[in-house]
Amino acid sequence: MRKGYVLERILYTVFIFFIVITLNFFIPRIGVEDPAERYYPPQGNLTDTEYSIIKQLTRKQYGFDVSGWQQYLRYLSQLSRGDLGTSLQAGSPKVSTLIAQRLPWTLVLSLSNMLISVTLGLLLGTSAAWNRGKFADRALMNASTVMTALPAFFLALVFSLYMGFEWGWFPAYTEPDMVASFDWSWRAIAQVARNAALPVISMSIGGVISYAQGTRNSVIAVSQEDFITTARAKGMSTRTVKYRHVLRNAMLPIVTSLGMSVSGLIGGSVVIEQIFNWNGMGTLFLTANNTNDYPLMMGIMLFLSSFALLANLMTDLLYSLLDPRVSAGGGRR
Amino acid sequence: MRTTRRKNNLLAKIWHHPQGQVGLILAGLLVFAAVAAPWITPFDPYDVTQRAEKGLAPGWPHLLGTSISTGQDIFSMLIYGARVSLLVGIVTGLAIAFLGAFMGILAGYGGRFWDTLIMRLVDVMLVIPTLPLTIVLTNLFGKSYGMIIFIFTIFGWVGLARVIRSQVLVLKSSNYIKAAQLAGASRRYIMFRHILPGVSNLLIMSTALTSAGIMVAEAGLSFLGLGDPTAISWGKMLAEAQSGGALLFGHWWWIIAPGIGIFLSVFAFMRIGLALEEVFNPRMKRSGMLLRLFKSINGSYIQEVFDAMDDRPETDEAGKEAAP
Repeated sequence: MRKGYVLERILYTVFIFFIVITLNFFIPRIGVEDPAERYYPPQGNLTDTEYSIIKQLTRKQYGFDVSGWQQYLRYLSQLSRGDLGTSLQAGSPKVSTLIAQRLPWTLVLSLSNMLISVTLGLLLGTSAAWNRGKFADRALMNASTVMTALPAFFLALVFSLYMGFEWGWFPAYTEPDMVASFDWSWRAIAQVARNAALPVISMSIGGVISYAQGTRNSVIAVSQEDFITTARAKGMSTRTVKYRHVLRNAMLPIVTSLGMSVSGLIGGSVVIEQIFNWNGMGTLFLTANNTNDYPLMMGIMLFLSSFALLANLMTDLLYSLLDPRVSAGGGRR
Repeated sequence: MRTTRRKNNLLAKIWHHPQGQVGLILAGLLVFAAVAAPWITPFDPYDVTQRAEKGLAPGWPHLLGTSISTGQDIFSMLIYGARVSLLVGIVTGLAIAFLGAFMGILAGYGGRFWDTLIMRLVDVMLVIPTLPLTIVLTNLFGKSYGMIIFIFTIFGWVGLARVIRSQVLVLKSSNYIKAAQLAGASRRYIMFRHILPGVSNLLIMSTALTSAGIMVAEAGLSFLGLGDPTAISWGKMLAEAQSGGALLFGHWWWIIAPGIGIFLSVFAFMRIGLALEEVFNPRMKRSGMLLRLFKSINGSYIQEVFDAMDDRPETDEAGKEAAP
């Protein structure tokens, strides 16, 4: 890996990050009302002077006492101190505290989803590619055309209806005491697993299919390359060719796609979380949006995009480690 | 004259493709349902006076029962729901094709300045969390389908523009474009006469698949309550079913009905897209287009990477076709 390439990718990431911060500041603000009007609508039992003093104080408290550009600069300096701001929720909790509370719960869902999708997808995809045109392959391809057209949230509702309410296998709504009483005991962990079952199943079906299909195409594409023919011609055993040559090269795009999906780990399950009333980032964002809690919205969006940026950077660097041609030839694009 | 004949050929080709035929028949049925909804539905779900007893099971005259919350006829709502889904899906698909083609061609053939600018923009768009921002924007700018189409277009062009750009770059270095340049053709002439036809196959194909992806996205947004609150859409039906207790009371028909609507419309447009891919590109049987669809749905670009390997034969084909 060339040093120049690494430096270039890092600088570029910082540049994009700055643009994202700027957009992130201005977009949620389009709909923000004056906090003074929001909390103190004219009620008539105060004199005009009292009323204007209260308004002044409120504006100051929420940082609305200066112009937009000064607010932006203030936001930048606040961010540089690692402060994501204060939520407008009752009790004025820190945005970072709220995110830290919810993040692990979302990661429970998305990491199990990713693990299941990748392992099952790789297994199914390679076996389909090696039995190309046979029953298993055709079954996978047909299943994928059907399942792709079914959105995950519809599957979630169907699973919730049958496995949740009708048959009572798993809780259809997250049990209310799951978060509050979590203490790392086996009982608590089992409870989380029970509650996460339905969301994870409904999320991972699409993921398994898409990884399986990607792996299948990748393996088939690689096994048609010239160097595979050469390896065969040299008299290598099928087994060696399959595992050493085909699979190893077919893994490259899968590693990249894995990196890409890392960025969706946190933000990708808004609808599913809402269906199962899961206590994660998705429901936190929906609450923030419904209550017009713009510091919280800005905080979450910034967190999501910096995570995505970091994941992209990591993928680029990892990819250039696996395939040195990339850093020599100016990047993935 | 020439263009209409070509279009007819294309339709005929999809029709003779077994999967395309399924897609065309389904899409035709859905379009019929959407257009003829007022005449073929037994009840008018928008009419408050035509509401029946709440929570009826499927039977006669309510083929799919009635909703628990309002007593609306579910079968009629299912038919009316096709309007929103098809309208949003097709219009957004076309808008994304236009914007994606414009940005992709400009980046690929408009010179270094535009290329840098557009590709930086693409990089920014790719890290912005799409779904949260869509939620924020629909909430801010009003919950109408015009707004939803606009927002989907703003976020949807990125992937297509990248694909178009890479195709344009291949075309640019091909001999016939160089010949046209040497013969003194203007930039604009080359763009419209040579580059645009060179990427048109890709555009037609992607419009079908993007439309399918957008239909899923629209359903999701309506499900979250961010669609037009007065319109009947499949996503909103699902949301009403959930909040109205369909899960609790086991009214499976109230869940399955809109689900089948979403499934059929997405499936139809996917079939058409896949058939188009094979019609344009007979050498490649079933390549990664399905995965490209996933991208437009959830914003991650899993399959773009997979497609990178499929791109080479595809562009060869386009180059050959446009060459004579």
